[in-house]
This record gives sequence, C-alpha cells and structure tokens, in this order.
Amino acid sequence: MAGAARSDLLQGTLDLLILKTLERAPLHGYAIAQQINRTSRALIQVPQGSLYPALHRLENKGLLAAEWIETEAGRDAKVYRLTKRGRARLDAEIADWERLSQAIGLILQASLA
Amino acid sequence: MNWIWRAWNRDRLERQLDAELRFHVDEEVKRLVATGLSPGDARRMAMAAFGGIEPIKEGARDERGLRWLEDIGHDLRYAGRTMRRDPAFTVAAVLSLAIGIGANTAIFGVVNALLIHPLSIDAPREVSYVTRTGPAAVNQRTAANTRFSYGALERYRDAVRPVPGSLGAMSSVVRMQLTTAATRGDDGAELVLGQLVTGDWFSVLGVGAQAGRVFMSEDDAAIGGQPVAVVSDAYWTRRFARDPSILGSTIHLNGYPVTIVGVAAPRFEGFIVGDPVDVWMPTGLQQQVRYAANADITDADASKPWRAQDGVAWLMIVARIPPPGNRAAGAAALDLAFRRDVERRAAAIRDPQQRAYVLQTHTALADGSRGMSPLREDFGAAVIVLMATVALVLLVACANLANLLMARGAARSREFAVRLSLGARRGRLVRQLLTESLALSILGGGVSLLFAQTGSRLLLQMASDGPAPLLLDVSLGWPLVAFAITVSIGTGVLFGLMPALRFSRADVHEAIKSGGRVVASSAGPSFARLLVVAQVALSFALLVGALLFVRTLHNLLTIDPGFEASHLVTARFDPRMAGYTPATMASLRERLLTGAGAIPGARSAAVAMCGTLANCHSVSDIDVPGRQRGVGNDADVQEDYVNAGYFPALAMVFVSGRNFLDSDTMQSPPVAIVNEAMARHFFGDVSPIGKYFTEEGSKYEVVGIVRDSRLNGLREAPPRMAFYPYSQHQQTPMRNLYVRLGGDVHLAIQQLRAVIREADRGIAVREVVTLAELEERSIARERLVSTLTSAFGGLAVAVACLGLYAMVSYSVVRRRNEIGIRLALGASPASVRWLVLRETIILVVVGIAVGAAVTIPSLRFIAALLYGLSARDPIALAAAGLLLSLVATLAGVGPAWRASRVDPALALRID
Repeated sequence: MAGAARSDLLQGTLDLLILKTLERAPLHGYAIAQQINRTSRALIQVPQGSLYPALHRLENKGLLAAEWIETEAGRDAKVYRLTKRGRARLDAEIADWERLSQAIGLILQASLA
Repeated sequence: MNWIWRAWNRDRLERQLDAELRFHVDEEVKRLVATGLSPGDARRMAMAAFGGIEPIKEGARDERGLRWLEDIGHDLRYAGRTMRRDPAFTVAAVLSLAIGIGANTAIFGVVNALLIHPLSIDAPREVSYVTRTGPAAVNQRTAANTRFSYGALERYRDAVRPVPGSLGAMSSVVRMQLTTAATRGDDGAELVLGQLVTGDWFSVLGVGAQAGRVFMSEDDAAIGGQPVAVVSDAYWTRRFARDPSILGSTIHLNGYPVTIVGVAAPRFEGFIVGDPVDVWMPTGLQQQVRYAANADITDADASKPWRAQDGVAWLMIVARIPPPGNRAAGAAALDLAFRRDVERRAAAIRDPQQRAYVLQTHTALADGSRGMSPLREDFGAAVIVLMATVALVLLVACANLANLLMARGAARSREFAVRLSLGARRGRLVRQLLTESLALSILGGGVSLLFAQTGSRLLLQMASDGPAPLLLDVSLGWPLVAFAITVSIGTGVLFGLMPALRFSRADVHEAIKSGGRVVASSAGPSFARLLVVAQVALSFALLVGALLFVRTLHNLLTIDPGFEASHLVTARFDPRMAGYTPATMASLRERLLTGAGAIPGARSAAVAMCGTLANCHSVSDIDVPGRQRGVGNDADVQEDYVNAGYFPALAMVFVSGRNFLDSDTMQSPPVAIVNEAMARHFFGDVSPIGKYFTEEGSKYEVVGIVRDSRLNGLREAPPRMAFYPYSQHQQTPMRNLYVRLGGDVHLAIQQLRAVIREADRGIAVREVVTLAELEERSIARERLVSTLTSAFGGLAVAVACLGLYAMVSYSVVRRRNEIGIRLALGASPASVRWLVLRETIILVVVGIAVGAAVTIPSLRFIAALLYGLSARDPIALAAAGLLLSLVATLAGVGPAWRASRVDPALALRID
C-alpha cells in the first residue's frame, strides 16, 4: 500500500474533496476515489468505507445529483454531478479551508519564530 | 417530505446501492488485472481494500435518514410475530382494550357534543347570551333567567350599539304542529321543533343559507309581519329529501301558512344544544303560529301579541361582541340599560324588603360559544361522572395488561438477554417492547371505533327523559377519532412502558446461565404488587361510586310519589296547535272525556292543563289576606287546571275537604283545591278549608286539601300546588288526557290514541304512554348512572381480582422451593395457607386504604347527583370495603390452597 507519508483525512474534508473533484465533470464513485488518489499524488487514499455513505449524504442534502449512465464498457454506473447548491457549498467550503490553513500556518510559523 | 419518496422506493434504492458498490469493485478488479494480477487475486485484493460491503451499505443506509422508519417496520413485523405466537393473549388484550377504549370514546362522544363542541357558527367565541344574576335569579329555574321582553331587547340593542357588535334574540324551541299539502289528510299532522327569531338572528350568529336565503331585518320588522320560514339542514333532509324545489312552497305551522324561503347552512341546529331546530320563523308571527309557551308574564295579556308587551318575557338575547376582549364593555353597557328597567320596576314595589331584593338583580353575559343548554346543566355532571368511571376502568385494565406483560416478559427474559448480549442497545429494546404494546392498544382502539358510536347512541337513548333519544350529534367525526387514537397511544405507553423498562435491564449473565427459566429479581414482583394495590384502590373508588348511585336510585324508587302510577295511561297533546280557541275548548274536552271514559275497563277519565310528570311548570304569585309576602319566591304557587276526575284517576288522596263538584260552575264563587305543602306554607297550622287566597285579583276559596305529590319528577320535592276546576275555567286548554284502568294498560294505549283521533283528526299527539313510563323517565339519568357505574364497578372488581389471583399464583410458583422447604421442615399446611393468604390480605387492605384516602375527599364532586344520602355515606363506604376485601380474599384462597398442597419432594428436586 501507499507509503508512510499518506495522510489521514481530516474530519469533514472528505465532503470538500468530493465536491471539488466533481467541480469540472460528473464522475462515478470509483472514478472519484481514483481521481482524488491521483491528484494528491497518492498522498490521500479515500477510505472506501466512508466514500459511499458520504456520496449518499451529499445526494440526500441536494448538493449532488445522481444519474445512471452507461459507460463505454457498456455497464450502468451511478454518476454524480454538482448541483447549483453543491457549487455554492463548494465555494463556501474552500473559503473555510483557506481560512483554516492560513490560521494553522500562522500558528506554525509563530512557534518556529 | 423527501423521506417519504425514499421510504417508498426503499427496494429500488437497495438494488441501486448494490449495483453501485459492485461496479466499484469490478472497476478496481479491472485496474488490478491491467497491472498483471490474476483475476482471482485481483478480486480478493479489491474486496480486501474495500473492507466489507455490508458495513458500507449500512453507512449508506444511515445516510438515507430512514433508519427510524425501517426500525419501526422491523419492530412492527416482530410485534406481529409475537402477537401471532400467543393468539389467546393477543385476543384477550385487544378485546379488553377495545371495550375500555370504546367505552371511553362512546362517553367522550356525548361529552364532546354536550360540553365541548362549539356551535357551528361564525367565530363562536365572540358570542354570548344575556342572563340575570342576583338572589331573585338564583331562586328561578335557569331558563327563566334568560327570558326578556321584546321591548327590553330593543332597549339593550340601543345600549350596546356604541360597542362594536350586535344583538339578536330568539324564543325557546317549542314543538309545533306542522302540516304540508302532502301531509294534510290521513297521516295527520307532524310535530316539529320550531323557534321564533328576530330578523338579525342569522346575521348575528354568522350563519348563512345553503339554499334560498336566511332572514333579513325586513322579515321581522312588524308584528304579524312576513309569513316566512327557514328550515334546518337536518329537517330538509329528513322531511323533504333535500328537494330544492321546496323553496317558495307553503307549509302550515300550527295551522298558519308560511313560505319556506331558505335552508340554513349545514350543521347549524340552533343555539340550544339538545334542542335542534327544524323550522325558524320571525318573532312577529308569535300570534299567528300560536306560540304560547315558556314565558314569564306579569301585568300583561297573554292573548295579545307578545312583542308589543313589556310584561311578557319570552326571548333569549344573544350578543356578538367582537373581539372577545370587549365582552366586559358590552356587559357593562347592557347592565346599565337593564338596571334602568329594574329600578323602574322596583319603584312600584311598596314593601321595602322586596324592593331591596329586586334591586339586587343584574345582568351578565354568559359564554355562548357552545350555545345555551338546559340539558348541559341537568346532564353534564352525570356525563362527567360516567367519563371518570370509564377512565378509571381503563386504568384498571391497563394495570392488568401491564401485569400480564410482566408475566410474559419474564418468560421472554432469555430472548432479551440474548439480544442485549448481541449488542442491541437498551433504548432499542425498550422501543421494541413499546411497539408491541402500542400495536395491541392501537388495534384495540381501532376495534373500539366500530362500536363507539353505537355506544354513544345507546347512552343518549338511556339518558332521555322523553320519548325520543337525546338529540345530540354524536356522529363519528375527527374529534372522536382523535380522542380514540390519543387514548390508544396513551394506554399503550401506560401499560407497556414499565414492563419495557424493566426487561430491557435484564441481567445478561443470569438470564443466559439459567437457561431461560424465569429469573425473578426482586424488582419484578414488587412492581406487580404495586399494580395490584393500584387495581384494588381503583376498584374501591369505582365500587363506592356505584354503591352511592345504586342507593340513590333505591331511595328514589322507594319514595312515595303521592300518586299511583300503575294502571294509568296518559296522552299528551296541545289542541291550541290544531286551531282550538278558548271558545271551542270546552266541547273538545267533553268529547275527549266521554271517549276516554268509554274505553273498556276505564275506572276514571281525567284532563289536566299541566298534569303530572309532564315537564310543565305554571307558577303564579298568590296572596292570603292578612299574610305578609316574604321576599323571593315566598308567594309562589304552582298551579294546574283539572277536572274532578283527576284526583281519583291519579289516586291522590284528600286529607280534608272535598273534591270539585258539579255545583262549582262559572256562576258560583271560584274554588281551589290545594296540597299539604301549600296549606302549610300559606296557612300554617290553621286549616285553610273555607279560607281564601287571591291571584291576579281573583279570589279563590279553598275547598279541599290533597296529599303532597311529586308531580315535577321523583327527585323534586313536592311543590306547593293549587288546582282549579275546568268547570269554572271552561276556556282553559287541556294538554293531558288520563284514563285509569282496572286491567291491562297496553291495549288502552291504542284506544286512547283512537279517542283523540276520533275527537279531531287534526290534533297531533305527542305521545300516549303509561304514567309508570313517565315516572321511570323522571329518574332515567339516575338509573343510567347507577346502571353504568355498577356494571363498570363490577367489571373493575373482576379484573382486579383476576390480576390479584394471577399475581399470587405466580408468587406461589416462584416460592415453591421455599414452601417445599417449610413443609419438609414440618410446617403445617394451614400455616403455609396463611402465609400465602396473608400476602393477599395485606395487598387488599393496603389497596383499600389507598383507595379510601383518595376517594373520600373527591366524593363531594358527586354530591349533587345523589339523593337521600350524603356523599360520604358510611354504608356505601363500608359495603364497598367489605365487598372488595371479601371478593379479593376469595381470589387469594385458590393459590393459598395450592401452596399447601405442594409436594416437598417434588419442589426440592427441581433445582
């Protein structure tokens, strides 16, 4: 499996990652996991036990919409896409995240000094 | 309501979740195969990475937010299985709950119709009616305090005008003889309930017409005004089959033709609950439709139009004063106007004491949102007592069910322990058990709805003091259904919660180790004991109530009414409705008396204006020369007009003096016969025979005294009576015809009816009944209350004894070892019997003590319903205690006997 550098997902960030991943194009669950894995250069492995509950939660909240679409291989896959509300939420979550990481950065720098 | 959609599509969602997860795994396998793994290894690895499909599915299901719903589904299915496994218990529980909840719903139906349900009018809370207050009013019958003259209405209307709002008025509801073109002829006339109302009546109440129109002010502008009528929805349905073409057609009310102009809005039955109106007419028609009832007449001529006379008080005044907060201002303005009338009247009174007494009279506005109802005053308290009774019975049943569930739960304790050890949360188990008890109670509630309405109807039938059931709307509307559901849920929680809490705490190790045999910790039996004590206490309360009401009924039944009701048949009618005038009254009377006297077996025939047990009260003030009038109703005498045959027909005995004679004629001096109460009150110890009294200027000589009789009903003390002979009051109408028979009365009922039909086909007979039936009706409510409270009291005692028996039997089974050891060590069977019986006796004594402590202080609430005994009647209390302890101890004898027969060898071998 992945190396020791693999990060545990911070509580609540999975939703942000899913929303962000779906920002550009609709994807099915497996592709979402792969994409997160790839973009983070395998630093983040999505725990699959949490992925699907999270997807369903976001869908029930109306942040995602799902559709069954036939893949090139001829199988039906459940493809998720961002709704309008999901997009708004993504913006809010990103802003939140940036504030948080900035704050943490400041704290880390201060302790260095 | 998205979750409803999700719940609905549960199966599809499950399939989709499955497909989605499978797709994920397959994709991962594909990727791993592409990296060079064998398909088998790839699948194993993919599954391992996935970490188990089921937990993920569970997680996804949780996210659906439908956990609770699915759990309820599971619980219900499980409850269904449990119920099927023990059908005897299920049927017994559901049936006992159905009876308990059904009785509650049935009585609540009457409570709702009589005491709670607001009128079907616009903004009922703004509506009130005017009533007199003060000492003079207290001495009156309640209805009399709400009667005012038409002149007074107009003055008050002017007085209230500055306050935003309006005033309308109505007369009492009275029976009217109605004929239409279709009914004229052989089937004779029909009696309907009619009411005279002012033109603004419907607009004040905010009631419209569903067909045609309601009254407008113009309809009632003048005396003898517009000959119009509005019919009620119920009457339109009953009589005209909702035929819209009746608008504009003519009906005859007491012989006077009126045109139907409209049908009132559905559900509006008038202002007097229990007296649903069939036909409304304008007050201006009072003379035309021969309205001549329910009035207080002073210094006025009853034969002239009432509207023009201030001395005739006959209208109830209803006010709408929006918003409700303005009621006080309205009441103040009204009282001011009323006081001007009172002061004017008081100024004419010479006696200062009497003047001061009258001057204390005021008016008040009474809440009219639920209408006005003499029935509510008569019957409301009895209905509440019945409601409390059935509620207590339901509590007893609940306690019993809780006990049964405890016993059953004990048998299931292994199941609970297993579930707890498998990780079920305690709350989950409580919910499961509660679902089971709620399923039982809701089933019971559902079954109860099947007969609740029939129960309400039966109650109205039994409670009626007239020929027809009480006219209350007890149809199964949402208030009743809501009540039944609420009671069902409450009941289910009540009897299910304690066992649920108790068994969800089961000791896992003990239960599993003991292999399913009943493990009884001390908490169980002590809770069961508590339930038994509660049952005994409740039964005691119910038994005391039942005994008090049975003794009340007994007192009434053994009272001497002063007349002889057996072998007496009476016909009730009003010839004035059929057009008889004072001039034609005498010849009709002669025909009726001749006809009745000719009935085979007739001993004597009689006529009376008011009669006996006929709900007729004609009261006047009289004066005896040389006697100073006291205040209040000191000068009141109830009067009646009768023929000489009346006293022998009713078997009223003369104490002294003589009966009316043929020599008492229009030409001879007026005479009167009085009763003992009247003689005592007005003449003291002196014999009144040969003495005089005056009434409205006429002077009467007392010629005879008869014994007191309870002619207003068995409950009411004999009134002071004065009887006048028809031979000297030829023009007075008669409304009761009596015939006393030597033999069978039932044949005579038909014959008496025929006598009236032969005398005049146009007279609508209200009813022909035996006087015994009227006597029975005058105590109908006492009989109803005593019958129902004893039935339910008996039921409660039986159920409580059953509970006690089960509890003691169970405790004997549990203590078999101990008993076996005692017997083996030489205890005598008698001492073992006593050991067990003592437990029973202690429970019963504690139960009765608790019951007495709670019951005795609350008994004063029923004092008004009792007759001839105090609410703390020692006989009833002692009898209830004795009876209950006897029956309950008997319930404990069986188990005690069995305990003494325990075979020590067998008992000890079990463990």
